[in-house]
Amino acid sequence: MHISIPTLATLVSTSTAARFLLQIPTTANLNPSTLPSTTHATLQSSGPPLDAYLTRSNTFNFANVSAGSYLATVHCRDHIFEPLRIDVSLEEAVEGSGDRKEVVKVWQTFLGNEWDNKGESRGEGGNGLVVEARVVGTKYFYQERGGFSPLSFLKNPMILMAVVSMGLMFGMPKLMENMDPEMKEEFEEMQKNGVLGSGSTNTASQIQNFDLASWMAGKTTDASSANSRGQSPAGQAKKR
Amino acid sequence: MRFYAALTLAACLAPAAAIFEDDAYHIDFHYALLGRPKHEATFFQKPYAGSKASLLYSISHSQTIGAINPKDGALVWRQHFSAEPHVQGHLRSGSEQDTVISAVGDRIAAWSASDGRLVWETTTPGAVVEDLEILEQEDGMTVNEAKDAIVLLSGTSQGVKRLDGKTGQTKWTFEDTSGDAPFQVSTSPTTVYYLSIHSPMLGGSKLKVTYLSPITGKKIDQVTLSSDAEITARSHILFAGANTAAPLLAWTDKANKVLKVNIIGTKNVASFNTPADVIVENIVLHAPNHVNSRSHFLVEYQTAVGHYAEVYHVDLKKTTISKSYSLPELRSKGTFTTSTSDANVYFTRITEDDVTVYSSESYGVLGRWSLKHSLATAGAYPVHGASEVVVKSGTASAVRSAVYYSNGQWVLHRNDELAWSRPEFLSGSVSAVWAGLPEEEALAQALEEESHRNLASAYVHRLQKHIQDLQYLPAWLQSIPTRLLGSVFGKSKGAAIDDIKLDTFGFHKLVVVATEDGRLAALDVGSRGKVLWNVDLHQFAPDANLNSPSLKAHRGYVEVKDPSLTGSIYINYTTGSRASVANVKEQVLALSEPQKLVSFTLVDGSLKGFLESRSSSEPLWSFSPAPGERIVAYTARPLQDPVASIGKVLGDRSVLYKYLNPNIVLVSAVIDSAHTAAVYLLDSASGQLLHTMSHSDVDTSRPIPSTISEHWFSYSFTTAATAGASSRGYQLIVSDLYESPLPDDRGPLGATSNSSTVQPSSSTGDVIKPYILSQSYQIPAEISHMTVTQTRQGITNRELLVTVPSLNSIIGIPRHDIDPRRPIGRDPNAQEKEEGLAHYTPSIQWDPKWHLTHKYEVIGVKDVISSESGIESTSLIFAYGLDIFGTRVAPSFAFDILGKGFNKISMLITVAALFVGVIFVAPLVRRKQINSLWTIP
Repeated sequence: MHISIPTLATLVSTSTAARFLLQIPTTANLNPSTLPSTTHATLQSSGPPLDAYLTRSNTFNFANVSAGSYLATVHCRDHIFEPLRIDVSLEEAVEGSGDRKEVVKVWQTFLGNEWDNKGESRGEGGNGLVVEARVVGTKYFYQERGGFSPLSFLKNPMILMAVVSMGLMFGMPKLMENMDPEMKEEFEEMQKNGVLGSGSTNTASQIQNFDLASWMAGKTTDASSANSRGQSPAGQAKKR
Repeated sequence: MRFYAALTLAACLAPAAAIFEDDAYHIDFHYALLGRPKHEATFFQKPYAGSKASLLYSISHSQTIGAINPKDGALVWRQHFSAEPHVQGHLRSGSEQDTVISAVGDRIAAWSASDGRLVWETTTPGAVVEDLEILEQEDGMTVNEAKDAIVLLSGTSQGVKRLDGKTGQTKWTFEDTSGDAPFQVSTSPTTVYYLSIHSPMLGGSKLKVTYLSPITGKKIDQVTLSSDAEITARSHILFAGANTAAPLLAWTDKANKVLKVNIIGTKNVASFNTPADVIVENIVLHAPNHVNSRSHFLVEYQTAVGHYAEVYHVDLKKTTISKSYSLPELRSKGTFTTSTSDANVYFTRITEDDVTVYSSESYGVLGRWSLKHSLATAGAYPVHGASEVVVKSGTASAVRSAVYYSNGQWVLHRNDELAWSRPEFLSGSVSAVWAGLPEEEALAQALEEESHRNLASAYVHRLQKHIQDLQYLPAWLQSIPTRLLGSVFGKSKGAAIDDIKLDTFGFHKLVVVATEDGRLAALDVGSRGKVLWNVDLHQFAPDANLNSPSLKAHRGYVEVKDPSLTGSIYINYTTGSRASVANVKEQVLALSEPQKLVSFTLVDGSLKGFLESRSSSEPLWSFSPAPGERIVAYTARPLQDPVASIGKVLGDRSVLYKYLNPNIVLVSAVIDSAHTAAVYLLDSASGQLLHTMSHSDVDTSRPIPSTISEHWFSYSFTTAATAGASSRGYQLIVSDLYESPLPDDRGPLGATSNSSTVQPSSSTGDVIKPYILSQSYQIPAEISHMTVTQTRQGITNRELLVTVPSLNSIIGIPRHDIDPRRPIGRDPNAQEKEEGLAHYTPSIQWDPKWHLTHKYEVIGVKDVISSESGIESTSLIFAYGLDIFGTRVAPSFAFDILGKGFNKISMLITVAALFVGVIFVAPLVRRKQINSLWTIP
């Protein structure tokens, strides 16, 4: 007799069951009315999972869910939904009143993590709670066939490099020929001065043949002297 | 965890051998089946009021509700209940409704008729729905809103319930505590009739009709019909008519001599004698199912050789039943269907050869079509059907009938032609095996013949064979141009698929399927599952009830075994006929001398191994799991499992030697109370235990599928919701077996110069124990079955094929992605990267590209079998159960075959352009060469 009372109490507590529904909201990338009718949701705890079919109003109705902690999954052919953790418990609405009511709490959950590792809360309430089931991705089953096209061939960086260098090799002499003589002269001079092309070799030789002693003595090189000649104080004075 | 999610997403982006969009629906096929349709629950119905076209609805004997497009036989929607198989399913629909209401077991549900979405669902815990009707009229007025459903329940809470058509909520309940067997409910515009069979302690049963008020559910009256002598079993009741203006109740006696008909609501029982000169085997009553239709009905008498029928009229005012006319006897089997149009009732007679439409008023033929011969219905007779008739000015202008044939085909006859056929007999396949093509088998046999002769005569034989083959040469030469043109410019799709002869790549393989109805069929997987033949096994074994046949393939024939069968039936798989005994006997399993075959079975909760050669001998070994454990499953390595390399080459060019024991068996055992599962790896030759793993927090009521291939095995289980469980969901465990943990080391085998794990029998002493590496992953859904792809040489990477019932998919996980050598807690180093190993993540998301079934929804998969094809890269896959699905996969891409993406025309143009270029450049080069020779350097 002593044992039967607590067992009776547990019987009472488990016999009351919660009722709630998962709803698929209409979002920019999903119109839930287009989902196939095989879309269904399961609540897994132990034993065979509770299964709910997709209704006309884009919901999954779960009735008679006994207390426990459930993994809720929406299975769909075309979309991936976020898994949820749904806890159903019996709690006293007012402390000590003895009036126990079903409380449904819903959180985001993450596969491959501890069950206690809950995410954002997705709702909390009594019977008739509406929880949103969010889509996290669309399934795309097919593989693109990498067909041959001349354009994709040209997009290859190696080919691009080859084409550019080919252009330089053959195009440059032609370009030089077509230049007017003055420009050409100027260009050649620039090359000599080391702005273009051979400039690096010039500086290299300068560094190699650096005359420390003459530098210490304040002697300027020819090039710099030529430069300074161009900007002679006399000229500046003239302008003034 | 966001980080992990990102990682798994990144893993998903890695290339996987998925299905090409242009290959989908070409290389694969799917029979979305319902199963054997139930006669009284098959009907044409408009999916919503005002719809122009109607759909064909049915619930099958395997509890699948489906809507089929009558135009082409395509499935519009279906819902499958995975309830226990022996529950009766019911499906009804009110006229002008947009829902269909089903009842299976204790689940009553209304479905949107056009798309199969749930409208409402209620359960009746502890009770089973015996019958379901729609309340068409209330107080003589047609209900315009959602029509309510009347359900009859048996079990703990026997009685009748009225459910609201909009919400499914109970409006009233009539409880029956009399203990009578509930039989059926029937409605009339004013009353709900509840029929039950009252079986007193003495004497025969009585039919009890209880009148209920449709508004309150209160009992109005009760009538017991005097049917004492006749009804002893339920099967004697022929019909309890529903929803007609005059619902009928008809029964017969044991010998089918007397037909008794009662108009429900009256006490009179009309009695008719069935024709005395013939033995009537079966009586079927066909009556319209519409409220407004005339109360005429047809009684069909089936005899051993033919059938005939009588049409009766009911006079509602006088409540009398009179015979109107009779239809002549036909010496062939056939069936009748009833269709209505307004108040008129039409009966359609469908026989093997023609379709005839009669009016219920008189015996004049309104229309007759002789059916064209078709392959699907050859040699079969119609069993039951449903029809739609169009009658214009007294003649039937068109008729379409969905007819279920005795060979299991569900076909639609549109006037005289066969519009479509659905091979519904394939649903409920219980066993399937691969079989080679007839030509290949013939060649193999011819070559085998040569091996037994001496050199000279073998040479002559070969020469003769080649000379014989010469006769095909002209035809072959003739076919070359068309083949070439076809392959360059792309031939028509049909020719590519159907050409069974032109099987260069070995994609055309037969699968022989046995169903629980005792049927055997052969499908060509290469030509999209074309049914080559279909036979009833009962013709070979008339007194056996073959409901769980198992198959085994031999060369040229399949062996059928069944518990109800002593011995086996041998069927030639190229023709579907019985194989000759002489042919069968010469094929004995060829084993080399020292080898012996050990078979093992589960006996009294422990696994026992026996020598195949000595039957009923002492077991060689016996394996019992730890005390309290219950063996749930065992898997062996497949007999055909070619391995290309005995080692795994690591990034630093050292080798890990694979443990390739061909005799390994994986045994899974559970303890229900402790929620634990243990996995044992055994050597089936010696019975020795090689390895043990145990898991806690396992949901032992869920399946633990497992598979073994090459040097690895995997299994999966569901985590139980126990208090201590740290995580939830489903787990997949993959383990590799190696000879030693160290590379370039053969472990215990190292000392011996000439031994291997491949042939453990030749090595002396104990079986070498493997070194095992395991990793487990969290997976998003439960796996019900797993297997591995098979290729010819085993060079191609393998794919783990898992069946996911909740997604209705079969997923091929590349073995690469579940390699147990994935580094944990660190990024892979350069050498591991070279091997292609990724950082271990505790969860695997199923990449949509892994779904072999892509947009197909394959339900009720019992087993998946794979086979090698003619080329190394490709493996053939066949799944059976409720649905049939077949495809081919190339886990390491199709490296030995040109895909559809290869543009042959552009290749030819390139070759031509190069050729032209060479012609132009050649003189230039020649001149340059001559110049270089003549110029002085």
